[in-house]
Amino acid sequence: MLNAVLAFIYQNLIDAPTSYHLYVEAFLALWLFWLIRQRKKAEKKQRLTQEEEQLIINAWQPKPLVDEEVKNTENYNNGGIWGPITGRPGKIVEIDGQKYLNVATHNYLGLLDSKELDDAAEQCIRRYGVGSCGPRGFYGTVDVHIELEEKISRFLDLEETALYSYGFSAVASAIPSYAKAGDIIFADEQVNYPIQRGLQASRSSIIYFKHNSWEDLQEKLKKQTEIDKKSVRKAKTIRRFCIVEGIYSKSGTMCPLKEITDLCKQYKVRLFVDESISFGVLGRTGRGLTEHLDVDRKDIDFISGSLEHSCASFGGFIVGSSYVVDHQRISGLGITTQNCYCFSASLPPLLAGTGIKALEIIEQSPEIIQDVQDKCAYMHQAFMKKLTFFRVTSHELSPLKFLSLVGSEFLAGDVIKDLIEQVIIYVKEHHKITLVQPYYLESEHELPLPSIRVSINRLLTYKDIDSIAAAIEDASNCINLYDSVICNIPNQYEQTKADMIRNYEGHLKWKQQNNGVSEKEALEQDDVFEPFEIAEDSAPKKIADLHSRN
Amino acid sequence: MIQVGGHGQENPNVHWLGSRGMWFTYLVVMFALHLFLLSIPFLTIPLAWTFTNVIHNTCHFIFLHMLKGAPWEIQDQGAARVLTHWEQIDYGIQYTRTRKFLTIVPIVLFFLASFYTRHDAGHFVPNFVTLMFVLIPKLPQFHRVRLFGINKY
Repeated sequence: MLNAVLAFIYQNLIDAPTSYHLYVEAFLALWLFWLIRQRKKAEKKQRLTQEEEQLIINAWQPKPLVDEEVKNTENYNNGGIWGPITGRPGKIVEIDGQKYLNVATHNYLGLLDSKELDDAAEQCIRRYGVGSCGPRGFYGTVDVHIELEEKISRFLDLEETALYSYGFSAVASAIPSYAKAGDIIFADEQVNYPIQRGLQASRSSIIYFKHNSWEDLQEKLKKQTEIDKKSVRKAKTIRRFCIVEGIYSKSGTMCPLKEITDLCKQYKVRLFVDESISFGVLGRTGRGLTEHLDVDRKDIDFISGSLEHSCASFGGFIVGSSYVVDHQRISGLGITTQNCYCFSASLPPLLAGTGIKALEIIEQSPEIIQDVQDKCAYMHQAFMKKLTFFRVTSHELSPLKFLSLVGSEFLAGDVIKDLIEQVIIYVKEHHKITLVQPYYLESEHELPLPSIRVSINRLLTYKDIDSIAAAIEDASNCINLYDSVICNIPNQYEQTKADMIRNYEGHLKWKQQNNGVSEKEALEQDDVFEPFEIAEDSAPKKIADLHSRN
Repeated sequence: MIQVGGHGQENPNVHWLGSRGMWFTYLVVMFALHLFLLSIPFLTIPLAWTFTNVIHNTCHFIFLHMLKGAPWEIQDQGAARVLTHWEQIDYGIQYTRTRKFLTIVPIVLFFLASFYTRHDAGHFVPNFVTLMFVLIPKLPQFHRVRLFGINKY
């Protein structure tokens, strides 16, 4: 037996015809033994002695159940100015027992006060209860969800809708479900916070283009095409997306959707439009910016919207072709990589019911859309003509009006915030109108300058709108806003100060001369009004630019 | 596409080669291939062994070191799209049991093939070359390395 083994070894290893293979096999055998002995690199667990363990236990201090920071309410309720809301936030809202005219919350069509929506909600509660008790894929789909989805699809004449239980999550989940690591997203620099979260969650490269500048987008697309030409193989694996909003919730400006759609078609970029603000407000029948600018909705890959702004309900949706929206249903990721469509509870049926009713109202009475647009335009004109210290920076038809303080380019952010707060508190106390400053987190991409945001409500009468404008003007005068602004401008901008004073004096004189003009006539005359503006050549837009000039 | 992630990891490519019974199946399939090649009448035994070795190494190379990504819609935001299966195994941790198994099997197969071909030079070359193709990408130094830009994107 042993002889046979020895003979075997001799024949095959020692007396073999070639010898190089021996070295190869020996090397491989050594490698094999070395490999088997390798352990995977795991962290060694530290063994502590009894004394060390006791030391650590003694040093532990329990933290309070409620963090002290949470009790600080300055970050809530808009800087501590407003107390808790004790009533329905309709046209009139009751805060801390006092009634105010509400231009702070989003209720563009005034449907929050409507009895029809209340009845629809009550019927749904009686039928379905209050909650849906489950995500969409696990016994949480109720027939009202399907009905609302079909209704939205039919309303916008698109194939399919995915309904989310929260407007923020709709667009924040939709973006990372299509765009992955290695893709490129072109986004407007003033996109809102949910979109920013979605962009961050997508792990793609984000290229921001100048706000509302389709020329800048074209430049960036051209640059990207050049980079793509250099490496064609890499370009084939990159997907390109573009994200814009219909009306931007940070500034109330309108997107040049027609040019952007054409650019996206030309450069083969997928286009996503977030119509949270413009749905139910723009267009002849409220179908959004696509109707207003006459853009074919089939050119847009998906439109995200929200029922929280004009429809007085809750929830968000993604509308598009079946091919696009079906993908959402299995991979709509949330902002914390939890599947927001799949694993988050579905919209309570009563809110779906109110959404259906709101859409019915919009479809059956399109005159309310025209009403809202008229009031938007009227408020825009009223603010432009009556306000001396605030500039309207939003679009005429935007339901959100942003009023920025004149001279705010030269002031520090905190100073502007304080001055505006004084105006808001004055208006709150003397005119009982709710004005707010939009609140932004520090992780916002481009923190805008503080401004007042006024939200339109269809139920406001023209007289109410006049009184809002008058209230702001009155507040600015009574708290000596002008003096505060002039005082706070740093001394290096002497020229600007002089210009501002000169302009203001001229403006006052003009106002006195035109006092006799009636409101209607003033509106009809286009260039009667000279806005209280700083002369172009002495006013660069950002303080950073000024520093670099000096 | 079916939804994956039911085993606790979002990418099944990470663990399916180390799952229960997988190694045994791997060896059984290899053995079946060898039996099939042995049963072809005009193939001599050395040729059958060389063919087994070469075919095994070729398939091994294609599936583990050439094809990238995973055949499911995984929820990792595209992290595994540029990784080969070998780089995805066990999330890139080196010297795990699966990785050691997959390195040892080609080496043992090479030993057997060399023995049965009586160390003939004509058989040695294809066996050794394919073995190198299979062993070198498995080195930890070659993790995520793409030579000459091949297979980069």
